[in-house]
Amino acid sequence: MLLVSCLAPIFVGFFFRFAIPFLDAILMGCFHMAAILSPYYKLVDILFANLTPIMFCFVSAMVSLEETDEKIAVYLFITPLGKTGYIFARFGVTAIIAFFVTIILLPFFKLTDLPLITILLLAVGGTLQGLIVVLLVLTISSNKLEGMAVAKLSMLPVFGAAIPFFIKSNVQYAASPLPSFWIGKAIIENMSLYLLPALVLSVVWICFLLKWYLHKI
Amino acid sequence: MITVENLSFSYTKNPFISGMNFSVSKGEIFGFLGPSGAGKSTLQKILIGMLRTYQGSCLVNGIECKKRTKQFYENIGVDFEFSTMYEKLTAKENLQFFSSLYEKEPRPIEELLKLVGLEQDANKRVADYSKGMKSRLNFIKALLHDPILLCLDEPTSGLDPTNSRMIKHMILEEKAKGKTILLTTHNMQDAAELCDRVAFIVNGKICALDSPHSLIMSKGAATVTYTWIENGEHSASCPLERISSDERLKGLIVQNRLQSIHSNEPTLNDIFMEITGRTLL
Repeated sequence: MLLVSCLAPIFVGFFFRFAIPFLDAILMGCFHMAAILSPYYKLVDILFANLTPIMFCFVSAMVSLEETDEKIAVYLFITPLGKTGYIFARFGVTAIIAFFVTIILLPFFKLTDLPLITILLLAVGGTLQGLIVVLLVLTISSNKLEGMAVAKLSMLPVFGAAIPFFIKSNVQYAASPLPSFWIGKAIIENMSLYLLPALVLSVVWICFLLKWYLHKI
Repeated sequence: MITVENLSFSYTKNPFISGMNFSVSKGEIFGFLGPSGAGKSTLQKILIGMLRTYQGSCLVNGIECKKRTKQFYENIGVDFEFSTMYEKLTAKENLQFFSSLYEKEPRPIEELLKLVGLEQDANKRVADYSKGMKSRLNFIKALLHDPILLCLDEPTSGLDPTNSRMIKHMILEEKAKGKTILLTTHNMQDAAELCDRVAFIVNGKICALDSPHSLIMSKGAATVTYTWIENGEHSASCPLERISSDERLKGLIVQNRLQSIHSNEPTLNDIFMEITGRTLL
């Protein structure tokens, strides 16, 4: 199941890349409109950039929760690996791999013209988002079963990226504590500067959740 | 090897461990005995660097536990009471994985498996192991990196008498190699058999600390009870150290009229109950 989760971005990538433009063409034909889904292609690209890190980190979270359930994690903490080594091995390494996989997959499956620098920044933003999700799952849940339930809810902050696409008034800033909101804003307004608050907020979220997680374990 | 001075620890506002002082020499087997919730496991967690918010000093191998680095764990082997193995992996795969976490050259895995009679099950998944097999596997995992300090939590729990004997023999072999061993147990017989010294822990405090023999001797000598027939069965007792002055016993021996004779030594459990007023369970 976990292996399938890791392969999910490829399946979803094919859907995004080929099925969405196809559906768009059908819908435009049916409703005689010039654009239906295409204004949101950038949003699809953002969600795809988040998908790989989130799926990879979700797999790591499940492995970690299983290790906690089976009391293996406690043992690993009292080996030279320690808590820091464990966290890096489980989540840091996973995030790094997810970052590179995103860089490889995104240019192939993207729906819009994204310059290389934007792809890199989206991959960084997605990786940080993946770390936030994994830490949310680990801090809120205490076993694998709870983890699977929490994982679904913890995906919600990712959808902050959709808010600038649908809410144009200042009400949209209600979602400003979410790093994904600023990623969405940076892409829709084509202003890379907005990625700065996204990165800063991501680091703040990660530090807060990491502290909580370390206290918990 | 271990020096603990004025150790205090608390999970809440109320102290859980307070004013604890003791030291353990290199090559010694030191037992922590006490009822559940007395503070034995907490003390063990402090000594292996898992709990670092304690007050006082706790030096293990010259390192303050709260300031331990990863090098600290190169020399410590821990055997928890519960299994800490990947159930989906085989015993051999588990041992290979855990040995890879240490810089030290690991002890030969096949040799360790053979020592606890698991060589035939080396390639079996841990999920298919019995409780006793898991317990033996857990024990050798603590020995993998040849640590100089072993922390064993109920190492004979769930084992049949033969395997229990085997593990105890291995513990004594490790001691003979100069290893220091901390033994946490409810089992007074194991403690009396293995430990050079034991500490009775109740309510986060050490109530007594000495060798099992000294503790037993300090609280009353053995007595000899004998029976004989004289218009029905009679019995009498006398302290072991005054047996030569018991004229009736001497007479019964000379007349060959003794029906039975046996000595009653107080056990460590009796001493524990006498000192703490509590049982171990």
